[in-house]
Amino acid sequence: MADDLRARAGLALYAAAVLTATLVHDPRLLGAGLLAACAAAGAERLWLLRRTLRAVLAFNLTVSLGYLLVAGLRHGPSADYLLLVNLRVLLLVYLGFWLVARVNLALALALAPFPTLSFLVTLAAGQALTLRRLALDFRLAFTSRSPAPPGLPDRARSAGAQGLLLLDKALAASTEITQAMRSRGCFEEPDEANPTPDRRSI
Amino acid sequence: MHIPDGFIAPQVYLPAYALAAGAWAWAGRGLRRELDEATVPRLAVLTALCYALGLVMLPLPGGTSGHALGIGLLALLFGVRLAFVAYSLVLVLQALLLGAGGITALPVNALAMGLAGAAVAVGTRRLLARLGETPAVAAAAFLSVLVPALLVALVLGIQPLIAHRPNGTPLFFPFGLTITLPALLLPHLAVGIGEAIFTLLIWRFARRRGWPTT
Repeated sequence: MADDLRARAGLALYAAAVLTATLVHDPRLLGAGLLAACAAAGAERLWLLRRTLRAVLAFNLTVSLGYLLVAGLRHGPSADYLLLVNLRVLLLVYLGFWLVARVNLALALALAPFPTLSFLVTLAAGQALTLRRLALDFRLAFTSRSPAPPGLPDRARSAGAQGLLLLDKALAASTEITQAMRSRGCFEEPDEANPTPDRRSI
Repeated sequence: MHIPDGFIAPQVYLPAYALAAGAWAWAGRGLRRELDEATVPRLAVLTALCYALGLVMLPLPGGTSGHALGIGLLALLFGVRLAFVAYSLVLVLQALLLGAGGITALPVNALAMGLAGAAVAVGTRRLLARLGETPAVAAAAFLSVLVPALLVALVLGIQPLIAHRPNGTPLFFPFGLTITLPALLLPHLAVGIGEAIFTLLIWRFARRRGWPTT
């Protein structure tokens, strides 16, 4: 129960910080918020900051350069805006990664009362990681088998074959998992004899 | 196409959360009845597939990104409600694990891509059913990308009008509709064609295995 409360408190703090970050329009305050978040994250701060920069770099660079170009042609760009929007995005994404690193979201979002949704989230998250790993393996294998840069038809054929194989593999794996969950009573409706089916073994 | 975090004003994302909460409640009603041991793995697999598709993102000049969505496929196989729930889950995973999209942009992304995209896909397929399965499914998938792109462009394009300093400097997304509409719609014409091919491929796979469709 204490874990539940801690997770919910973490989520509530995160939501309040996100709302505040979008209501504050002073870059100095947002910068101070980012510094405070970095200081509070402890030893994880550099890892979180690197992850955040990698996640936002492409988007923010595109928007910032586009803004410089468009505003430069019209009335002159505002350094205040560039600072404001980049600091806000950095802070928001940093907070998101920090939340995921520190808070058990399944507990915080109280998915336990919705077992079907919990099954779906668990299966989908597991399958997403599996697919990502398999896709990377296939990509590396395709590159290593191609002595010359592959043309568009080759890439399309490879992508189609990969997609279907990934789908087949993932379907087989998730069917197995579902059968395992069923054998442990996950899909049983509560009844008078057993009002709360025991799911602790899952 | 995701709107990244930090570019949407609270005047937009807070009402959007209220709207999305109503939509999620509607979509979640009776979820237990619809999801059995045959549907859960299929839905989970295709949700994961949509997540994997979203990993390949190309930044666009309008400030967002282009990639296949998979929402048309989800909607055609599972219906609007389940597709909306599943795609919202994809958006949450992408926002929290990858920093793509974001929590402040989640309701707008979910309503545009998850709900409008799914509804357009199912509606288009039904409307064009008499033309045959292949053109109907392809058109449904194509429009399930283009309509959300239009909605996202509209939401982004109104940000400078909604939130700016007294001197006109924007506070959130800086570009107006004259930039966001072409910047999002033109690249998504190509993304839509890719989406149609991908959807047809998986659709035929699903039909060969006898999956029920909407």
